[in-house]
Amino acid sequence: MRVLLIEDYEPLARSVAQGMREAGYAVDAAGDGEDGLARAQAGGYDAIVLDLMVPKLDGLSLLARLRRDGSHIPVLILTARDGVADRVAGLDLGADDYLVKPFAFAELLARLRALIRRRYRAPDAVIRVADLEVDVAARCVRRAGRAVTLSAREFALLEYLAHRRGQIVTRAEIWEHVYDFAAEPSSNVIDVYIGYLRRKVDDGHPRKLLRTHRGLGYSLDVSS
Amino acid sequence: MSLHARVTAATFAALAVVLGAFSVVLYTAFRSALVRELDEKLASEAAALAGMVEDSPPDFEYAPMPEFEAGPRAAYFEIWHHDGRVIARSPSLGSGDLARRSGLAAATLPDGRPGRALGIDRPPRPGEAPAPGGPAPVTVVVAAGTDDVDATLARVRSWLLGLGALALLGATGAVLFAVRRGLRPARRLAEEIEAIDATGLGRPLAAGDVPAELRPMVDTLNALLARLGDSFARERRFTADVSHELRTPLAALRTLLEVTAARERSPGEIRAALAEAQGVVAKMQALAESLLTLARVDDGRIDVRRRRVELRPLVDDCFRPHQGEARRRGLTFANELPAGAAADTDPEKLAIVVENLLANAVAYTAEGGAIAVRDGAGTLVEVVDTGPPIPDDLLPRVFDRFVRGDPARAGGEHHGLGLALARGLAAALDLDITAENRGDGSVAFRVTFPAAPPAPAAPAPTPGRPA
Repeated sequence: MRVLLIEDYEPLARSVAQGMREAGYAVDAAGDGEDGLARAQAGGYDAIVLDLMVPKLDGLSLLARLRRDGSHIPVLILTARDGVADRVAGLDLGADDYLVKPFAFAELLARLRALIRRRYRAPDAVIRVADLEVDVAARCVRRAGRAVTLSAREFALLEYLAHRRGQIVTRAEIWEHVYDFAAEPSSNVIDVYIGYLRRKVDDGHPRKLLRTHRGLGYSLDVSS
Repeated sequence: MSLHARVTAATFAALAVVLGAFSVVLYTAFRSALVRELDEKLASEAAALAGMVEDSPPDFEYAPMPEFEAGPRAAYFEIWHHDGRVIARSPSLGSGDLARRSGLAAATLPDGRPGRALGIDRPPRPGEAPAPGGPAPVTVVVAAGTDDVDATLARVRSWLLGLGALALLGATGAVLFAVRRGLRPARRLAEEIEAIDATGLGRPLAAGDVPAELRPMVDTLNALLARLGDSFARERRFTADVSHELRTPLAALRTLLEVTAARERSPGEIRAALAEAQGVVAKMQALAESLLTLARVDDGRIDVRRRRVELRPLVDDCFRPHQGEARRRGLTFANELPAGAAADTDPEKLAIVVENLLANAVAYTAEGGAIAVRDGAGTLVEVVDTGPPIPDDLLPRVFDRFVRGDPARAGGEHHGLGLALARGLAAALDLDITAENRGDGSVAFRVTFPAAPPAPAAPAPTPGRPA
């Protein structure tokens, strides 16, 4: 899941980005509103964490522009003002959630998960595909009731495929949304990780869930 | 004592005195009129009786008059011959006597009632031989009770008392009513004032039907409320700004700690996290210290220790912490103060002032620009940079707290307290700071001596002026 963080106070931006990366997100950080808007408009994000008081273009204006352009990316607002008016303005302009600084980092992650879940219309933190269970909160996977151990990248890839279960996901989408693959020099890194996943998730099970659609992409499927 | 009670009591007392005096005068006049009337009646009766008397031989032809008959409210007469014989008595007198007298007087009647008596000596008639130098031939004494007079007076008294009391009560009631009614707007005003809380301070009181006498009070109150409202709003804004400025570094600190503690870290990672935390804490400390200094400035608790200070090295010292940032932004710096420039001032406070002005210039001057420090007429130091100019809407507020210029240039590291602090400390040193955009696009912050009072009789040396 790729998240855009728009926050101008660098120590906070660094810590939040680090924490989110360690939680399995691909994070891009923008230090001001203009940069943030440009990145957000370029698309490819599963959520945006937006500080309201950023230079050049303030958070509310950024949000308004984004929504006017028709973007539905979930936006979580960070605000240092605890007044109701700020929160109401943010929510009315199209924010999906807010957090008042200082916040518990675990809460930020939980709200982020909830936003992404809503975006992909998953009812709760456990996504089920046949007998495969992907728990995006606890970050663990079970196949037929048995725990499957995955690396962070493998999990991120499976999480994205699980969110889009039943759909064909292109390599470009995986490139955009999944943890740090963009930083990887090798172009077949996605195939490599799909291979790892297939071994850990499908091997030994008669029903294969991970499918390759030649020339199109991959899918996590219930049919077959 | 309420206005109510005061006005009512005063009205009551004044009215009581006036009514009392009026009643006494009226009563006295009435009484004397009644007594005079009685006296006249006695006189005419005496004259009539005297007309009925013959003295030689002493004879009295009494035509019965009802008032002299015996009865509970009888009048009396008695007629004497000058030789002492009683010629006649009123039937009411029976065999008793009246005191023989001459002239009018109050008297007690034979039956014990109070009354008045009149004695006249009948003058000799034409044809009667008067005894020359002798006594009058006949003396008539008439006496009548004053019961009627007293009864009338008693009635008058009770009427006066009753009407007086009624008038007094009525008038007092009317005054009470009028005062209460007159004070109703004041009471409404009081209710309005009572309903004021911190959030409604800006709302003026409705002067509406407030009496003219109270209008100045309402106006004064409204002015006071407006001032209070302003300062409350300023306080609220200030508190919100402070909480905002503290929440962001707190959020950074908390996230940093939580993220770092979430898993095992290498010593290198921990060192990096600690360094980051130190940076955040330093920012918070700087903010706290700025706020404390500002609070002291507000309370006038700045301790000024003046001494002779060389300005040129002070400016150099102040620039040193900003040298790195200035170089990074491609700014040149020139300290153009003359070598000997000095002032009697508090070097520590002045250094904070100058450093904040320099920090401001370093943060806001366009990259590649220049910053210069000079002195001038009436100016202690002047920090001039090559702009861009301060936006017009910002210029009047540039020294306010938590006011920042284009945040794009300020970045997240500035609180917007530096210039407020500079101005506050300058004021403690009896100096002014002004900001101005100059025609050539440059921006100048001038630390000046307060303007001399208009048209001084003799040019007095400004205190603290450099020699």
